[in-house]
Amino acid sequence: MNAIARFVALTLGIPLVAATAARAQDPRLERLPAEARASVSPVIDSARAIGLPTEPLVDRALEGASKNAPAPLIVQAVRRLAADMGRARDVLGRAAGQAELEAAVDALRAGAPPDVLVRLRDALGLRQLAVPLGVTADLTLLGVPADSAASLVIALARSVADSDLLALQRDVERSVALGAAPLAAASQLLGDAAPTGLEAGTARTPATPTTRRKP
Amino acid sequence: MGHTHRETASDGALVRRVLAGDVEAYAGLVARYRDRLGRYAVHLLGDQADAEDALQETFVRAYRNLGQCADPERFGAWVFRILVNRCRTIGGQRAKRERVVVRSEAHVAEADVEHPADRQAWREAIRWALDRLSPEQREAFLLKYVEELSYEEMMEITGAGESALKMRVKRACEAMRAMLAEVERA
Amino acid sequence: MPEMEDELIGRVAAELRRPVRLDPAFDDRVMAAVRAHPLALRPWLFRRRTFSVTPLGALAVAAGFAGLIVATTLQLARRSEEPGTVTAASVVPFVLHAPDARSVTLVGDFNDWDAAATPLRATGASGSWVVTVPLPPGRYRYAFVVDGTRWIPDPAAPRAPDDDFGTPNSVLTVGT
Repeated sequence: MNAIARFVALTLGIPLVAATAARAQDPRLERLPAEARASVSPVIDSARAIGLPTEPLVDRALEGASKNAPAPLIVQAVRRLAADMGRARDVLGRAAGQAELEAAVDALRAGAPPDVLVRLRDALGLRQLAVPLGVTADLTLLGVPADSAASLVIALARSVADSDLLALQRDVERSVALGAAPLAAASQLLGDAAPTGLEAGTARTPATPTTRRKP
Repeated sequence: MGHTHRETASDGALVRRVLAGDVEAYAGLVARYRDRLGRYAVHLLGDQADAEDALQETFVRAYRNLGQCADPERFGAWVFRILVNRCRTIGGQRAKRERVVVRSEAHVAEADVEHPADRQAWREAIRWALDRLSPEQREAFLLKYVEELSYEEMMEITGAGESALKMRVKRACEAMRAMLAEVERA
Repeated sequence: MPEMEDELIGRVAAELRRPVRLDPAFDDRVMAAVRAHPLALRPWLFRRRTFSVTPLGALAVAAGFAGLIVATTLQLARRSEEPGTVTAASVVPFVLHAPDARSVTLVGDFNDWDAAATPLRATGASGSWVVTVPLPPGRYRYAFVVDGTRWIPDPAAPRAPDDDFGTPNSVLTVGT
């Protein structure tokens, strides 16, 4: 199915597979206003039918319910998230797991161009991408240009553990909170920690094939 | 109950209680050393938030490695050594980064003592001068004159030799004198 | 003149020896982090910054927070992408300094955004509210609800890029 057809299916909430439509509705959706539930359920079913994770969609609907959001707003938010997860999977490939897709959605929404995510995916080969993508997204949210954020993360992620990557992200957040320029703070802290001294904005040729194990 | 215990128990007794599974006993050790270690970190790093992060990481690391504290009665010296190393790492990470000057909240809070303007200016002059020492000199100066440690204790905490430490303290004093004399004349 | 110079260093030292005021919530933050790792005294657990526990282990770990552990433990099992698999979790402390609050709860992707599921515990007179939650690796959106009505993001975490329902959220990445 091409991206446009899937986008139409997701945003209109058309069930794609009969068996999916017959699947029992998630009981948590009972918390939604009836009007929202009627529109959200088909979106979730459609997402499931094409292999997208449904938990983030349920979560987004429940967030709206807890915040007493009007039904149209809840439906709109869930549709938009489903469509964006589809976009993210187009970028990352079908093996991408839930956390990777969620991080990629955040990165795209923060303004990262899709080709930046492709570069990160290709560069990191077999590594799990959830944390590198999450850090890239959060650095972009902080104001670091997406391309630079991805370059810094790529340089680091080859040699450090996820926990260290997250710790460095916190260092950057702290510096920015104290008034440092986002790119300068990220380049300094992440660049210092990178073993090869890669500079922001540079990319390396992928060292490994793009095939990744399923998360 | 717990409070009385914390105030009177020795470091060694508290460490042994934590090692025996009494996690809450660790709060006694944190309360005992937090202010002194916090003061060192704030002055060494020159930034309240960085200092508190360094201190928190120090206490958490010390807890996780408590079984490796060879002499529980000297927990204070042991945790000080962890903090000194942590501050070196953080200082090193920041070294090349553009300096962000943040006035510490603690300093602002205390600025109304005596002559506020003079006092604040004096504090800022000291901060300015401390920032211009090399990290090794700043470390040695604070341990010697603020923490009032002996050279033997400083050797234990920093891993440096006595002659090197004496040299750092001497140079730090010379630099502080030169810089602050300028300020006082101004 | 040596006396003058020594006097200068003496005044510097005296100034620097004055107490420095730390965040009133500092002890609470340390103890929350420490309580989250009660098994860390076993040497094989020293290797990681965050240690892994099974949901059952998390139950024991967070015994001090019995009121919420049921919800979070059930959540772990449900969020596993493959039913029946045990997902390793990191124990994450959440701390909010809110001295004037009467109640604080944590809501997010990990508890179905249920404002009753995960209350924070006030820690003494410092004004801090704390809870620890075992979370499997993943990316989570969350917020605090103060006094049952006020939704606020975590000041110590990145802000989520979208704000679909009018109040901002924070975002948290939990690694393996």
